[in-house]
Amino acid sequence: MKPVINLKLCKGCNICVYICPKKCYTRGADISEMGYFAAVVSSPEKCYNHNREGKLICELCVLSCPDQAISWHPETEEEKKK
Amino acid sequence: MRTPPGEYFLQGNEACVEGAMTAGVRFFAGYPITPSTEIAEGLSHRLTGKNGVFLQMEDEIACISAVVGASWGGVKSMTATSGPGFSLMQEAIGYAAMSETPIVIVNVMRGGPSTGQPTRASQGDVMQTKYGSHGDYQVIAFAPASVQEMFDLTIDSFNYAEKYRVPAFLLSDAEVGHMRGLLKVPETVNIVDRKEKGLKRPDEAYDVPDELVRPFPTFGKGHRTMVTGMTHTDTNRIEPEDTKVHTELVRRLSEKVLKNRKDINKWELMCPDSKTMIISYGSAALGAKEIAARDETVGLLRLKSLWPFPEEPVYEVAKKASRILVCEMNLGMMYWEIKRVALEAGCRNVELLSKIGGEPPTPSEVRHKLRSMGAT
Amino acid sequence: MDIFEFYRKDRWPHVFCPGCGNGTVMNCFYRAFNEVGLPLDGTVFVGGIGCSSRVPLYINSDALHTTHGRAIAFATGLKLSRPELKVVVFTGDGDLGAIGGNHFINGCRRNVDMTVVCINNNIYGMTGGQASITTPHDYLSTTTPMGNKEYPFDLSEIAVAAGANYVARWTTRHVHELTRSLKTALQKKGFTFVEVVSQCPTNFGRRNKMADPTAMLEWFKESSVRRDKSKTAAADHADLNIAGQVTIGEFVDRNRECYEELIGVEKHG
Repeated sequence: MKPVINLKLCKGCNICVYICPKKCYTRGADISEMGYFAAVVSSPEKCYNHNREGKLICELCVLSCPDQAISWHPETEEEKKK
Repeated sequence: MRTPPGEYFLQGNEACVEGAMTAGVRFFAGYPITPSTEIAEGLSHRLTGKNGVFLQMEDEIACISAVVGASWGGVKSMTATSGPGFSLMQEAIGYAAMSETPIVIVNVMRGGPSTGQPTRASQGDVMQTKYGSHGDYQVIAFAPASVQEMFDLTIDSFNYAEKYRVPAFLLSDAEVGHMRGLLKVPETVNIVDRKEKGLKRPDEAYDVPDELVRPFPTFGKGHRTMVTGMTHTDTNRIEPEDTKVHTELVRRLSEKVLKNRKDINKWELMCPDSKTMIISYGSAALGAKEIAARDETVGLLRLKSLWPFPEEPVYEVAKKASRILVCEMNLGMMYWEIKRVALEAGCRNVELLSKIGGEPPTPSEVRHKLRSMGAT
Repeated sequence: MDIFEFYRKDRWPHVFCPGCGNGTVMNCFYRAFNEVGLPLDGTVFVGGIGCSSRVPLYINSDALHTTHGRAIAFATGLKLSRPELKVVVFTGDGDLGAIGGNHFINGCRRNVDMTVVCINNNIYGMTGGQASITTPHDYLSTTTPMGNKEYPFDLSEIAVAAGANYVARWTTRHVHELTRSLKTALQKKGFTFVEVVSQCPTNFGRRNKMADPTAMLEWFKESSVRRDKSKTAAADHADLNIAGQVTIGEFVDRNRECYEELIGVEKHG
């Protein structure tokens, strides 16, 4: 599974960037439609849950995100290979 | 556990306990304060086990808050206090008005301001009952003058609180609360329960349209109710910035009570066509009642409900009277409302017998004042 | 249950500031509630006044948004009128410990079965950043422009002393521990208290050189000490909140009879 940021909810606080132990996120440089510098999932393949189904581990980003903007999505075949 | 029908010799506060139990109270939160403590003590005996919950809370603010919380659980709840505690409760009373929570507050009035005369009567809180909390809201308030009325009007307080989803007040005082007298409990007593959302109820108690008084969305029944003191819409969206929402809400809170004055107002009238009328309530009316009973030329309008202000009976009486004497145990509170209506009705001679210090006006004080006004 | 079945999706995005710790606590609470498996229709939420007290209004269940400081008193009445319902209170440091202090200590003492989550951001955030009873000594706020002359409360120690059945404190930096504690608190009988030290970057952090929410989270990490490694704060009379150290952990887990049992009222079954 990969983390996906919902740009309608992200307020660009960058807690995900700070908390992720694998540095999967980076601070955004573009303003989202909601008017924030939304964070970016720059390296989802580094995530502990890369290529993982069922019970997920870590989840510090999902639990920490104050805006409930991060959720897990299935990876495509391409993404799984990284 | 209603009081069995029959005759009893009881203290006023004890009769209030019986009235509350008959009305179906199931939650009481109180704090000791003279002269209301007997009500708490009485209910601590009765609200045990399956009969309900009695709580002595840490202060009056906790009491009134717990009472509002319990009402949202769907049960009839009440508290009893006196002046100093009543002052503490005002914020939550405003909250109950805004959130339309049915609750009953008994205020056994004592000498004020402040700690004042704990064991003596006054009627000093009658304006505070209506205007004590901030903002515009309406309440329902009754003023008993006997042990029987402590029973009857407690039941009325519950009935009207439930029917109109407002805080209802029983404005007793140290005299009526502590006097002993006869209580007659009839075979059948009319009890009104709130119109609960989602439940079918018989129609007679609910001649109030849903637009004015919304069905009560009891907690824990899947209604997913949001209750707040902030300005809110009918669908319970919080909209403090919206002028229209606030206006509609606050006006409706007022209208639901004011439009139903005729249903709510209660009074006793002796010699209605007299040129000399006494208008009074509670203990202050006791002396006047003696005068009116013995003298056909003197009439008495004894108000049994104080809020919403009973415009109509006062107006009717003032149309025919050439002089009106208001007897109150304060420095003039209901006097101004009564005078306003009397002037509208054409009676310009409206005077006040104000007696403070703890004792109700005696018959001879009333007679003396009437003479000075040119009557008898 | 999906997170947006638990929360009222039509009210998102919520009003909390970017980086506010409230949202983090909401995640952990949802996880804990979901894993414990309590029925949402059988649970009611109560809040006072303040940013944290608004959390109940975001949950898809009955919510009572009360007056400032009185949430526990309202919750007591509600719970005892309907003992079969689960009652959860969300409150803040000022709401609970300042204006609500009397209800807080008596609530712990009375031990009515309810869970109280105090989101302690060391400030009165909603009104613009005035000092609270947990603002650390010397810190700046709009009412302490020369530095806070007062010393803070330790809310968890008060709960322990007053008799709560379960007391724990974590920070928003410790999301897994917080989730586990919330699970324990939700399942335990009696008055259970979980304090969460949380960031208010807008009205606390910004005035104290920590405008970035991640700076506040780093500060929580640096200053938190697991309770088993430090002395009892009360015995020490130290400036125990944040500036020196925040003790975190489960402080007490005991089984005093809850109030419903003491008065013989039918309990949730």
